[in-house]
Amino acid sequence: MKEKRLKERLNELAERAKEPVRSDLAEQIKQQIPHRLERHKIGWDTVNIIIDLRMSKSVAAAAIIITLILLANLFGGRDSTDGGIVRDSILLIKYWGGAERSEVSAVRSKYEHLLHRGEEVTWYGDRIDPKDRSAVLMQHKRRDGRYCVTFVDGRERDVSAEELVKLLTRMLQNKAK
Amino acid sequence: MEKKVKSTEQKANSAYPTTQQRELARNKRHLSQRQESLVARLRSGDRTAAAELVDMYYEQIYLYMRRLGHDRQISEDLTQESFLSAWHHIAQLRDGKALNSWLYRIAGNISRLYWRKHRHKELAGIEGADMPDHSKSGRDLVEHDEQLEQLNDAVSRLPIKLRQSVVLHYMQQLTIAEAAVAAGVREGTFKSRLNRALRTLRRQVT
Repeated sequence: MKEKRLKERLNELAERAKEPVRSDLAEQIKQQIPHRLERHKIGWDTVNIIIDLRMSKSVAAAAIIITLILLANLFGGRDSTDGGIVRDSILLIKYWGGAERSEVSAVRSKYEHLLHRGEEVTWYGDRIDPKDRSAVLMQHKRRDGRYCVTFVDGRERDVSAEELVKLLTRMLQNKAK
Repeated sequence: MEKKVKSTEQKANSAYPTTQQRELARNKRHLSQRQESLVARLRSGDRTAAAELVDMYYEQIYLYMRRLGHDRQISEDLTQESFLSAWHHIAQLRDGKALNSWLYRIAGNISRLYWRKHRHKELAGIEGADMPDHSKSGRDLVEHDEQLEQLNDAVSRLPIKLRQSVVLHYMQQLTIAEAAVAAGVREGTFKSRLNRALRTLRRQVT
């Protein structure tokens, strides 16, 4: 079949391949129009580009914030050799890691600081379930012989040696479950 | 001499558009203005504009779904879903000229997602209304109908991308530029798909 004729036939087929649409379909669709249609916002083009690239929302937000920090560092006169950008990025990543994780990191920094000072501290962070808010994250032996324990949620408590043993036993039992 | 007169007449005719051409151009201008104003209202969050959009396009989108091979019920569902998605992405709509292709692109994506989830579902044909052609008679008419049926089968057997190209341009009557945007490809790619589709159809329809 010649191309011109084929095109004519296709147009004809389009006329034939029609069927009546259910009359209340339009009404059904109209009922679903949201009460507040989202207005066009200036500045959303960047976000739309990111959506088109099919990045996840949190990755996209992180990308935007990191870009802003980089721009602020470049044009804000901060010395980029002092590791400011890296530190900011690490903070951001920590922030995106979730609250529990950032609390654990904060206690970990304290543990490293005490250890550096030569105190008797023990870290349990590698052995516990971070979702268990009452798990002991760190113990610190005081000069008076009592112990200061720090929990996952950041609480601190002064306990005796017996109480410490009980706490640790309960924690290990919880983990075993 | 006579030939010369004829060609001069033709030239004169092409320089001065006929009433029909003028009417067509006026309609086109009117439609474009209507689309521009509709898009401006949609972007400002006007709900009546959204209802107008439904009235303008629901039949077209339904038929598009049917021509892409979905059955009646699924086509209705996917048409609704396309409009829901359109409300959701209203902020991405830029200008009136893009309205057609924007809506078809959403509908095409909805259809593609459906096929991805239901890979093994069979294509549904569209039962077209009978339109007897009175200018042809007897044998010619039978031959003509057979040819159309052959063509319909051949279109439905085309790979989805090629079928979409044919449907968008020849059946939904989108321009090449609009259809390319609706298919989410460059114009060149769209033209090459269309050529491949036409070559295949020419081989299959006698």
